[in-house]
Amino acid sequence: MEGMLLLIAILLPAAGALMLTLMPWLNERREDRCLFVGAILVMECVVVALVALDGQRTLVLFKMTEQLPIALRSDGTSRIFSAVMALMWTVSGFFSFSYMKHEQNEKSYYAFYLMTLASLMALTLSGTMVTMYLFFELMTFISVPMVLHTRTKEAVAAGIKYLIYSVAGATMGLMGIFILTPNISSAYFVEGGSLLAGSLTISKDAFLVVIFITLVGFGTKAGMFPMHGWLPTAHPVAPAPASAVLSGVITKAGVLCIFRMVFYVIGADFIRGTWVQWALLGCATVTVFMGSMLALREKVLKKRLAYSSVSQVSYVLCGLYMLDTMALDGALLQLVFHALTKDALFLCAGAIIFKTGITRVEEMHGLGRRMPWTMWMFAVCAISLVGIPPLGGFIAKWYIAEGALSTGAPVFSWLVPIVLLISAILTAAYLLPPSVSAFFGGMADGEAVSALPKAEPSLMMLVPIFILSLAILLLGIFPNFMIESFTRLANALM
Amino acid sequence: MGIVQNFPFFSIMLCMVSGVVTSVLKPRAALMTTLFTIGSVLALSAGTLGMTLGLDEPYTFMMGHFPAPWGNEIRIGSLEALMATGLSAVLFVSLLAGHARLPSLVTLQKLNLYFIMMDLVMAATLVMIYTNDLFTAYVFIEIMTIASCALIIVRQHGHTLVAATRYMVMNLLASGLVLLGISMLYGITGHLLMEPLNQSVREIYESGTYREVLTVVIALITISLGIKSAMFPFHAWAPDAYSFAPALSSSVLSGIISKAYLFLLIKFLWRVIGIDIIQSQQIGSFLFYCGIGGMLVASVIAISQRDIRRMIAYSSVAQVGYVYIGIGMGTLAGLTAALFQMLAHSAAKSLLFISTGELTRVSGDHKRFHYLHGAGHRDVLAGIVFTFSAMSMVGIPFTGGFISKLQIALASMPFGGSIRALVLISLAISTLLNAVYFLHTVVSIYRKAPDIEYPRNERIPRHAAVALVISMLMTLYLGVGSGPIIRIIEAGIKMFA
Amino acid sequence: MEGLTLLAAIALPIAAGALLPVVRWKGRAARDAYILCLTILTTVLATVAIFGNFPRLSLIQFNDRLSFALKLDGIGRLFAGLIALLWPLTTLYALGYMRGTQKEISFFAFFLMSYGISLGIAMSANLVTLYIFYEMLSLSTLPLVMQKGDSGSIRAGLKYLYYSLGGAAFAFIGLVYLVYFGGTTNFVPGGLFRGVAVEHTAQLRLGYLLCFLGFSVKAAVFPVHGWLPTASVAPTPVTALLHAVAVVKSGVFAILRVTYFSFGALVIRASYAQYIPLALTCFTIVFGCSMALKEKHLKRRLAYSTVSNLSYILFGALLLTGQGLAAGLLHLVFHALMKITLFLIAGVYNDRAGIHEVGELHGIGRDWPVLSAAFALGSLAMTGIPPFIGFISKWALAQAAVLSGGLLPYLGLTALLVSALLTGIYLLVPSTFIFIGRRPGNAPGTKPVETEIRISLAALTALMLAAGFFSRPLVDFITRAASGLV
Repeated sequence: MEGMLLLIAILLPAAGALMLTLMPWLNERREDRCLFVGAILVMECVVVALVALDGQRTLVLFKMTEQLPIALRSDGTSRIFSAVMALMWTVSGFFSFSYMKHEQNEKSYYAFYLMTLASLMALTLSGTMVTMYLFFELMTFISVPMVLHTRTKEAVAAGIKYLIYSVAGATMGLMGIFILTPNISSAYFVEGGSLLAGSLTISKDAFLVVIFITLVGFGTKAGMFPMHGWLPTAHPVAPAPASAVLSGVITKAGVLCIFRMVFYVIGADFIRGTWVQWALLGCATVTVFMGSMLALREKVLKKRLAYSSVSQVSYVLCGLYMLDTMALDGALLQLVFHALTKDALFLCAGAIIFKTGITRVEEMHGLGRRMPWTMWMFAVCAISLVGIPPLGGFIAKWYIAEGALSTGAPVFSWLVPIVLLISAILTAAYLLPPSVSAFFGGMADGEAVSALPKAEPSLMMLVPIFILSLAILLLGIFPNFMIESFTRLANALM
Repeated sequence: MGIVQNFPFFSIMLCMVSGVVTSVLKPRAALMTTLFTIGSVLALSAGTLGMTLGLDEPYTFMMGHFPAPWGNEIRIGSLEALMATGLSAVLFVSLLAGHARLPSLVTLQKLNLYFIMMDLVMAATLVMIYTNDLFTAYVFIEIMTIASCALIIVRQHGHTLVAATRYMVMNLLASGLVLLGISMLYGITGHLLMEPLNQSVREIYESGTYREVLTVVIALITISLGIKSAMFPFHAWAPDAYSFAPALSSSVLSGIISKAYLFLLIKFLWRVIGIDIIQSQQIGSFLFYCGIGGMLVASVIAISQRDIRRMIAYSSVAQVGYVYIGIGMGTLAGLTAALFQMLAHSAAKSLLFISTGELTRVSGDHKRFHYLHGAGHRDVLAGIVFTFSAMSMVGIPFTGGFISKLQIALASMPFGGSIRALVLISLAISTLLNAVYFLHTVVSIYRKAPDIEYPRNERIPRHAAVALVISMLMTLYLGVGSGPIIRIIEAGIKMFA
Repeated sequence: MEGLTLLAAIALPIAAGALLPVVRWKGRAARDAYILCLTILTTVLATVAIFGNFPRLSLIQFNDRLSFALKLDGIGRLFAGLIALLWPLTTLYALGYMRGTQKEISFFAFFLMSYGISLGIAMSANLVTLYIFYEMLSLSTLPLVMQKGDSGSIRAGLKYLYYSLGGAAFAFIGLVYLVYFGGTTNFVPGGLFRGVAVEHTAQLRLGYLLCFLGFSVKAAVFPVHGWLPTASVAPTPVTALLHAVAVVKSGVFAILRVTYFSFGALVIRASYAQYIPLALTCFTIVFGCSMALKEKHLKRRLAYSTVSNLSYILFGALLLTGQGLAAGLLHLVFHALMKITLFLIAGVYNDRAGIHEVGELHGIGRDWPVLSAAFALGSLAMTGIPPFIGFISKWALAQAAVLSGGLLPYLGLTALLVSALLTGIYLLVPSTFIFIGRRPGNAPGTKPVETEIRISLAALTALMLAAGFFSRPLVDFITRAASGLV
């Protein structure tokens, strides 16, 4: 059957999750469990690679009604997103094998972890708006337990907030889907969009308002202003590997939905030059700025990283909403690099908590002596995030800025680069000092620090972080094949 | 054909004779005689009805071979026959169902007096239905007043005496007004027989001579008959009278006697004066608004009552309001609706009073709602009968009340605009109000009884139970098979005026 | 006479219910078997009636314009099918739930009678017949609401009664209009007034509006919705079936009949007679959800949710398009499935675990994981998450609104979305709580759940889930039934 691989990409982790719940013997001993989950994750990466290499395929799962097919499709976009997701998930998964030793309820954690991956894959591979909405909602509900995992009052409140925001955002997105459906020529995603702009069922102005609301709604998952409120509370309360994927991957799901809506349904041309574009750019820029500011003030490390995500993901959105090939390139680059970087940073933070119990930034003095490898990788990621060459973050931001300047759009063509610059400075301000003080801090109490035991985490935790850092380094130095494929995609879409 | 034409006369005579005979009989024999009489009246009226259905014209009957305008004349058409049949049926069934409780309420010596009064009531009802001249009408109005008062006062109990006195005073006042009106009418027209009267009245009206007098006459007679039939706002005697009289008496008062007066009023307005004249004098509007007022205000007051009999009394005032709405509209459809409502209400209300009597009886003769909790379980048949009649009052389908409401609503449709809206919305509100107090009561009688000792009573005799069921069937029939009845009424009205 | 099947389906349960208190039963099992068998038998008869093609059956001729008659057409079949499907399952549940309460006999007597009467509403061939069954339903369900016999129940019952009868009194006005202007109350696709003169249209609109307001009492439209949350004091099988399926859907069904088969879309369209009801339903959609959000008592919360959802159906129908009606009918069926499941599970929480408020739900998922999972699934469905049925009907409603265009339809669309969000909050948040946290130490222990309850809930949940995946034949049928009517 054509497209069988697509289905396998989704069902594999789902089956894994089911087997974990229904077959207790798999779940009993830690070793068995970790082995099983690890195997699934690696197999998933293989399947995703196969799907990516296979070319475009469509698979209709079933038809809810005649006009509502639930269908999967793999194309250029899904390749990128699914590769990123699979990789991140695997890396974080391996990390968690070690990390979760000191969290309770490990058994249920992995089941939800795998199920979330399955729903993410399904979301990435969705071929129609309704399919995408279905899996968007599904993914929200399946990821809630991960947020709630520790069952503390804080975690529960954060989980509920996440739930409500997500449902609100999805509802806003649904409104757009409702109103778009009679106005498009094909239920499936079409590169460049399939909007019948000449014969809209409602006035163009009303339509633009609807589009705005829709995109803001989907932007909830990506933490874009004004729907960002849940992110700083939800990301930190989850266990570190879960925070990693929440920040690194699930936010990208929001971006994906926006991506699909803008480039595969509505079409960039319809929005370009309208107030919708300016408003969305405005929201994204505000978020970039605001996220960085809030990160600066935040003293708890995981929260600081969460706010940072708010800011960094909106870089992607800035690039996206410029509706320019180069900026889009930059956006996709930023997407990849941020995923890698933030994932790694959260894992580092997790390692720090795991080994030393330190959660606040000011306590990180001299940590570099106790956990050298960890903190080196932390530093590397921080540098990448700030956007210092030759690490990957720089290229992404460069492309976005250049793309913005070249569009000639009013205001934003210079505002965006400026905001990016300011944000870079702020990022440096909130990430570099901890990195530096880790190595050079605590000099006054030199003996006190060196008297503390070595706290390097185990290999199981180090290697995943290392892989990510290495990827950041290498991709930063040799980005060309990525840039080429992204440019090809961007051109096809506009 | 021949002998049947005499039936109305026979029925009136039979009642009078029976009344006389009953005075010397023992109570049990008196009862049987009265039952026989009324049963015969029913049969005779049914026969008359059958005969008149085939006629196109009404016929008149001279009593005593004295021709008009000096002698008494009765006029028989299908409408009159229908009313006679209906009312006598209701009376018969009520008597059958309610007589068993009389000995406990009335002293034995007075019992056959009671039955005499019953005969007189029947006679007066028949006369008011059939009469074609005003003098006879007046005489029997008086007879009816006395007989009805006697029916109330037979109980000789504190409240009853007060109620009876109030009833007496208001009715005598009304009778006085009627006499005044009739005299004045005679004065300006010189006639007492209805057809010549009508001609005279028309001449007077067209020539414009005694216009004001005519208006006064109409007002007097209308208001006095309104008082007697408990039209709002002249109904003040009704709550006490219905509440404190024996159940059978209330049933007869509300079900039969008020209908007789109403029929007489209709006859006066349509046959004596002529409906067009009535309408032009705004009398119709007056009656219409009194009807609406009664329908709404009486129901509102009923809700606040703590005593079941008073509540039902106010309900009667409200239901009579429906009739006045129909009369006040002045159209054929309105009159049909009014007449149907008279029949339906008569059947249902008489039943309601008797079943209420039974329910209070098994609750230690208490009438207040609190004591009535659980009465429906203590006396199952009375509970069912009460529920069914209540539904007819509210206007639930399958009962006569529903068809009645429908007829009134349909009659208001041609009016358009505010009159139609007023009637329809008032009907809806009235239905709701009726539901509030009646169905609340129904729920009450099926609730758990309070922890008090209820005296054990003998059960209702078999024939009384049968009578109750028959009257339920009558209401049911009016709800289900009203078509023929309405046709008869419509045809009868054509013969009537 | 073959049309007798229709009558049999109605008369059998009524007679069976009336006989129940009269016969002396040899033990509970015999009585339970009797009740269940007769319910299933009635369902069989109803199914035969639905799938057969029986002619109209005229039972009583009241007069030349009014008759008491039965007939099954498209939407009648749909409603009858829904009732016939859900009643046996709820009866099964009730047999388990009511066990030992000492009031089973009167309960099941009226429960059975209400079954027949509800079928009567679905099978009515004209407005008089429907009105008669409608009134009878108010009366037969009254003892069920007042079942518990305490003063709160009696007050709730009386409130229900007054509202119902008041509403019927106003609906009566519509009936009068139909008799007067149309000469008959028969249901005719497209209405009685296809070629009516213009001056009558104005009057007919007023009649329709009053009629709508009257029937809207049972359909719990603002502002006459007040009886429904109060009626939640009734035993759960009553609230679930009657107040989420039979009684309230009868109100909706009556409005559908009056709109499409009596007055007709032609008369009502593009006038205040359409706009006022549309506006009221849009408001109710949001109002119901807001009240549900504020409400802490679980069953009352579900009752307010019903208030909101009923207006979804009416909103679709009042768009006066084929798609709108089809969407409304779809939601009629789907909401019934979802809501009844939720209510019945809430009943188990109520009665077997002493949980009455939303806040007490913490941790009950530990004791009853499967049951609570079903509750969560029901909540997801109600919120409108694909691929559950709630999404399908909401989608249809939204599409119908978009295709209609105009201010009020778009307002309704917004109301739908806001409502979806609020539903998510007031249902999904408790669903989450069910699975986390622990029951407080002083909470009453959980009583065992009877087998009957388990089986019926399993069946209902399965139906609710399956309908999502096999909805196409149903949607086809509904579209066909709806398209001839406008």
